[in-house]
Amino acid sequence: MSLRGKTAIVGIGQTPYYKRGTAPDPEQKLALRAIVAACEDAGIDPRDIDGFVSYGSERNTGQQMLPALGLRDLRFAALAWTHGGGIPGALTIAAAAIVSGQAEIVVVHRAMAEGSNQRLQVAVTQDETPAQFLVNGVDFILARSAQRAMRLIHEGVPQECFEAIARAGYFHAQNNPGAMGHGHMLTLEAYAASRWIGEPLHLYDCSRESDAAAAVVLVSAERARDLRQKPAYLLSAPMGAGASQGSREDNHEPYTSVGMIGLADRLWRESGYGPSDVDVAQVYENFTPMAAMALIDHGFCTRESAGDVLTFDNLIAPAGKLPINTSGGNIADGFIHGMGLLPEAVRQIRGTSTNQVPGARLSLMTGGPGDSLTSTALLGSDETL
Amino acid sequence: MSQTPRIRGGIGADGPYWDALERGVFQLPRCAGCGAWMWPAHYRCGDCGSWDMEWVPLDPIGTLYTWTRMHQAPVLVRERIEDVPYVTLLAEIPAAGGKRVVGALHGSEDGLAIGVPIRGVFLPPSPKTKGYATLGWEIVR
Ligand SMILES: [Zn+2]
Repeated sequence: MSLRGKTAIVGIGQTPYYKRGTAPDPEQKLALRAIVAACEDAGIDPRDIDGFVSYGSERNTGQQMLPALGLRDLRFAALAWTHGGGIPGALTIAAAAIVSGQAEIVVVHRAMAEGSNQRLQVAVTQDETPAQFLVNGVDFILARSAQRAMRLIHEGVPQECFEAIARAGYFHAQNNPGAMGHGHMLTLEAYAASRWIGEPLHLYDCSRESDAAAAVVLVSAERARDLRQKPAYLLSAPMGAGASQGSREDNHEPYTSVGMIGLADRLWRESGYGPSDVDVAQVYENFTPMAAMALIDHGFCTRESAGDVLTFDNLIAPAGKLPINTSGGNIADGFIHGMGLLPEAVRQIRGTSTNQVPGARLSLMTGGPGDSLTSTALLGSDETL
Repeated sequence: MSQTPRIRGGIGADGPYWDALERGVFQLPRCAGCGAWMWPAHYRCGDCGSWDMEWVPLDPIGTLYTWTRMHQAPVLVRERIEDVPYVTLLAEIPAAGGKRVVGALHGSEDGLAIGVPIRGVFLPPSPKTKGYATLGWEIVR
């Protein structure tokens, strides 16, 4: 049985982004603020939430937040068993709970505040860092992503693609007053002059780590039609890993795949659409080359055509062929372990983005590309059902 | 050292790799059932189901598969700060079915490029290597 079109996102909520370690509120208060905001957006009483789903190292659980939200009947809670790769997968878990009758109003959320937790890059790596990385000075995420990026360039994808992805994020941030990169236009010169983090990654190729929270509310398609917002229907959100992938391996093939080839195949088959149908995409860019690999895995271009397809002009709204990261993305909007991308994917369906793609009906969001087990989601307006 | 890895969080099957480096031997595991090379080491061969690995001593000779020059030290390896920038890499080992082994560059960067031949050099334990004996990789000229 397919979950295609059976549920929809009907509410979105976010706190402002704060530089990491500077949020005025503790992490759980940020989570509550985002969840309440998402409920208000949907026109739903927070007391009626009956399910929670998150991913990665989220520590603000439904059972902790139950009293502050006044929940009357909490019936479902689950965590997608991966890191940033789990965001679209969390939607599938929520949808499965709704369609199977386990819950009716499910929140998917993520909150991060370094002051009340620990740095994300430490939280993510502490249980996944075998000796072979640490003894060689290899950062589990950064250095391994940089090594993959270097190989991707060797395979024919020019550095200009990474720069275009970074600049598209900053370009979009200029229209988004809430973006951390708002007021800071990234020029070609500034990109090229920015310091190396791990070659070929410039500073601007790397996502931020912010303090913030974001939440969305999912309900059944039937219920969605009676609520106040235009529903963003969940057409498909498969979770999966490539056959030779493994979270502690550098021996998967192709090495410069982020494990989304089979995943994208399932996405297109279940949704009935393909890469050329997508109007706008929020592409998880922990590092820009990883986003390029995700786009290649999804079939938007090949290693050979990437230089012609992944250009600044193509990647920006409103007129580009494939506008990406239209709120600014993880790089220029803010970074809550990727969760900020999801409300923006919904705003594009509603027509309320600050960088709206005119008439957008199919909105893609890809999960974290650093995870072997990751996920990807296609949201659609009612015309796409 | 014991078979138990000193660093938490590893797969745990790679003890013989580190033990051998202390003796100046580079060895990788091969499935005793089907002959498949594996790296990192695992407890079981996912191809044939065998639980038995044979550790095969190899000449530490490879090809530079990819690299990065790190301009900051990892949060978990602050001991490397004085080395910044330093090069980390993947060494492709033809004698082990092309398996790729994680490493760091040793010696000069002259000729650094994907595809160049590289050779392993046995290095003693140090704080930078968290007390493990390691194989540094130098470019063959
Ligand atoms: Zn075997």
